Amino acid sequence: MIDLVGGVPLYVLEFGDELVYFTPYTITLFLLALTFTILVLISRPEKQVDIAFGGDAYRTKEISVSEMRFRRFMAIACGLATMGAMVTGDIFNFTLFTAMVGITNVGIVAAVKSPHVQDAAYQYGLVSLSATIPLFGGAAVYAATTGSLSMIELMKGTVPAVPLIAKGMLMLGVIGEGMAPFYAAKAEMFRAPGAPYVIMCSLSSLLIFLRVVEIVMLG
Amino acid sequence: MWDQYNLGLLCVLVAGVIGFVALARETDDLHRLLLLDLVEITALGVIALLGTDLAEALVLPGLTVGIAELLALSQIYITKEGLKERPVRGLNIEVIQKADAPAIISGFLVVYGLVLSGFTGGGVAGLGLVFWFMSRGYREDLNMLEMASGISWAIWIFAFFVFMFFPQYWFIALMGAAVGIVLKVTVKMSLVGTMWGEQHD
Repeated sequence: MIDLVGGVPLYVLEFGDELVYFTPYTITLFLLALTFTILVLISRPEKQVDIAFGGDAYRTKEISVSEMRFRRFMAIACGLATMGAMVTGDIFNFTLFTAMVGITNVGIVAAVKSPHVQDAAYQYGLVSLSATIPLFGGAAVYAATTGSLSMIELMKGTVPAVPLIAKGMLMLGVIGEGMAPFYAAKAEMFRAPGAPYVIMCSLSSLLIFLRVVEIVMLG
Repeated sequence: MWDQYNLGLLCVLVAGVIGFVALARETDDLHRLLLLDLVEITALGVIALLGTDLAEALVLPGLTVGIAELLALSQIYITKEGLKERPVRGLNIEVIQKADAPAIISGFLVVYGLVLSGFTGGGVAGLGLVFWFMSRGYREDLNMLEMASGISWAIWIFAFFVFMFFPQYWFIALMGAAVGIVLKVTVKMSLVGTMWGEQHD
């Protein structure tokens, strides 16, 4: 139990099928997600400023209240999904939370009227939708080979070893939700105005990636 | 058993690869979305290969998340392409609109769904209603149906509380959950494709 990357679980909550546990590692990630969600909750969106090159003229982009409300809601939903992914002790729940982060990421920029952003969001959505295939597939192979989806069971080392292919599929699925090689469309999405909400897209996939590192090293 | 699983996995992965090849060759955005939905089925296939109760419990959320992503992307596609007018019409086939066959078929499906009960029954009965609405080009205020869905969902949740806190009344809870879910799924499915939000216009 000592050589676990996340540290020894401090608290395990088992409620029916639901399994939640905290290690020093996941507590850190959870608090980061929580802090940022609260920040989104209380902050007002930035107004992007366009400056005419070579002159003094500049103008700010107006964001309507209804658009702001929708994006704030989506950013908070994204934060909640991220928090869920940080503390869950069930592989399949983790994949569901990851898929939900993908959906809410699209939602955060969906209300923006810029066609360029819409196009980027659509392309990102296609990638994240196809990433759910290795994601769910990986979780299913986890269940097929070890007979359990519980991370606590995986920690104990009493179940058969997880094959590399399952870990690879899980990793590929998380990467597809917005990490390095599939990042291109997502980077374009950040052209959308409204700072605290848009950054949620980036932060959520970063946190999920940090969590999956821990999960992959368990079994 | 292990061999069967491996064989099944191989078939599903081959299907997935075929889907991804099609995806890579396709350039039209809408067609790519449709192909992705097809490929997504292979992910559910991998889960279903577990062949246990657990698999059934995992396919359902997997399917739901897939549909949610599909709906979100379709909405973005509509905004992106600037598609404003979305007139809802029934199947424009005279035989279907005039004949009695749709009524008989959907009536059969609804009755069969009620007999099956539970989630599957709700799906079957809902399919019957969808077919009925499609064939007749139904236009009415669907808010009542929405409300019925909400109430039956509440019954379902209430039944779960009975399971948790008063296990001795399990039979009434079971009946409540079965009726609640069959109504909820039926109503929700019948709303798919018929409720386009035109009342907001």
